[in-house]
Amino acid sequence: MPQYLVQFAQFHDEFRLPEFLSLAQLARVKYSYEEGSYSLDSPFFKVELESDEAARKLVERAILIKNIYELWGEGKNYAEVHTMVKENPERWPAYNEKSFKFSVSGFGSTISVPEQRDIINSFSFLAFDGPIDMKNPEVQFGVMEDYGSEAGKLGAVKKEPKHIYFGKLVATGGRDVVNKYNLKKRKYLGTTSMDAELSLVMANQALAAPGKLVYDPFVGTGSFLFTCAHFGAFTMGSDIDGRQIRGKKNDGVKANIEQYSLQGRVLDSLVFDVCHHPWRTKAWLDAIVTDPPYGVRAGAKKLGRKDETKTPLKMRTYEGEPMHERVDYYPPTKPYEMSEVLIDLLNFAAEHLRVGGRLVYWLPTVVDEYSNNDVPQHPSMKLLSNSEQNFGQWSRRLITMEKTREWDAKETATVEISEGVVKEEAPVPEKQEHNEEDKDEKRPGHFLFREKYFNFGRQETQN
Amino acid sequence: MRLITHNLLQCHVKNCNSNNFPLKIEDAQVELIEADYNPEFLVNMLPKIDWPVLVNTAKQLGLPEIPAQVPEDAENNEAFLQGLHSVLLETHIQQGRMICPGCGHVFNIKEGIPNMLLAEHEI
Repeated sequence: MPQYLVQFAQFHDEFRLPEFLSLAQLARVKYSYEEGSYSLDSPFFKVELESDEAARKLVERAILIKNIYELWGEGKNYAEVHTMVKENPERWPAYNEKSFKFSVSGFGSTISVPEQRDIINSFSFLAFDGPIDMKNPEVQFGVMEDYGSEAGKLGAVKKEPKHIYFGKLVATGGRDVVNKYNLKKRKYLGTTSMDAELSLVMANQALAAPGKLVYDPFVGTGSFLFTCAHFGAFTMGSDIDGRQIRGKKNDGVKANIEQYSLQGRVLDSLVFDVCHHPWRTKAWLDAIVTDPPYGVRAGAKKLGRKDETKTPLKMRTYEGEPMHERVDYYPPTKPYEMSEVLIDLLNFAAEHLRVGGRLVYWLPTVVDEYSNNDVPQHPSMKLLSNSEQNFGQWSRRLITMEKTREWDAKETATVEISEGVVKEEAPVPEKQEHNEEDKDEKRPGHFLFREKYFNFGRQETQN
Repeated sequence: MRLITHNLLQCHVKNCNSNNFPLKIEDAQVELIEADYNPEFLVNMLPKIDWPVLVNTAKQLGLPEIPAQVPEDAENNEAFLQGLHSVLLETHIQQGRMICPGCGHVFNIKEGIPNMLLAEHEI
């Protein structure tokens, strides 16, 4: 298969390869790449694909891919690049008459205009006869010099490039859409609305596509309903807090659906506690995409009373009328611990996803306490990727899992504790006592996340 | 709330485990909201839909009739799929109530959003 060069965006490096793999699956494109071809600190990734058509299909909705080139030549210096380009002169005639453009870019360094001109001229052996067109060329060629991730740092001495690539541009990614869903332009927002770029990456991870059904059990202001529907899926959401869904006069999730003209695909938002959900069917969802409430901006809540020994759960009346039948009734809620939220989410996913369906969610965690074992597991769910977005002392991890076999009522989600020897149900705190560290038992890095987060002190919250 | 959602919901009040589906719709204000027609989606959802319940719901709301049984050639029956699409995805209940036939719990629908929260004695 021919060689292609993917040029990634220089953001969210841990998310780039997982997105690429999801897109390849979605587009049903065959690929192969050498182990070690992808590295977190380089935006360049060499991969073999069947054709330009496959490459185009693969990147058309990519958020973290800028460009994909058919790789014509590469090497440590221009002599090597030129030699390789000259090995396949049969490629050239197809572009001989076309209007064209050359561009030169450097990763980790800038290249001056005279230098760029010299580089372009060194490819004059291609002898294209077509006119140069900088605005709307029929074909574009790119020279990319890679100086390495250290080179761009302050005080680094400009050196020679480590590697040079030359190729024909096949397609650009779908990054333009990030702007469309930019939160700054969104009509209705909440404190926990997820930024557009990552919401779109999540829709790709979920394989959201026409004909599929995607559900968000912590829908909030609806971010994922829009990005998954953008790619053609039907979407539904629910939340314990109906105020977020409704919004105030003339806004709410509905206002955003209208802003993005997604009435045809965003189906419904409902109000309920996912711990007590009314869905009657099993194995009916193609994906669950969600940002579970971890309590920094919006405290996670579930139905119940904080201390049921003091105030038992029972029917209450007001002036002889049952309270719960009043129009303005809102049932009591109690805090919902992060580790418990995640176990419930995974159990829900195992039961309600179709086989092959995906669960994509954010796991917030304390960086110093995190270990890979903290990610809840379920026998019918396989972990596909775990990508960190770091905020210093805390981070959030985008977890993508796939349901691999039928749900079995006897199985339940677990968190592996103490080096993978003992498996236990997720620790559920009986009492919500602050700073009560259990000395003997290892807890996952997201256990009591809210309490730990506020103990970091007055640090910047970037969310 | 669209009828697809109604067809997938049951009463989830504690110990209300039988005769908790379908929820009976009352005082419904129905409006039509266009939805994307996707036959593949409809075919995928068919096994999850309770067909007699959908037929009854459509009848009760005075919608165009859908066949009493799913035709054998459903996958390729364009007229059938178009009719199903309109009932399942485009029929939207803007206001109304859903009542559990078993325990009598009333779930209100306001501005198209069903409130499925339970009271504290129901969890």
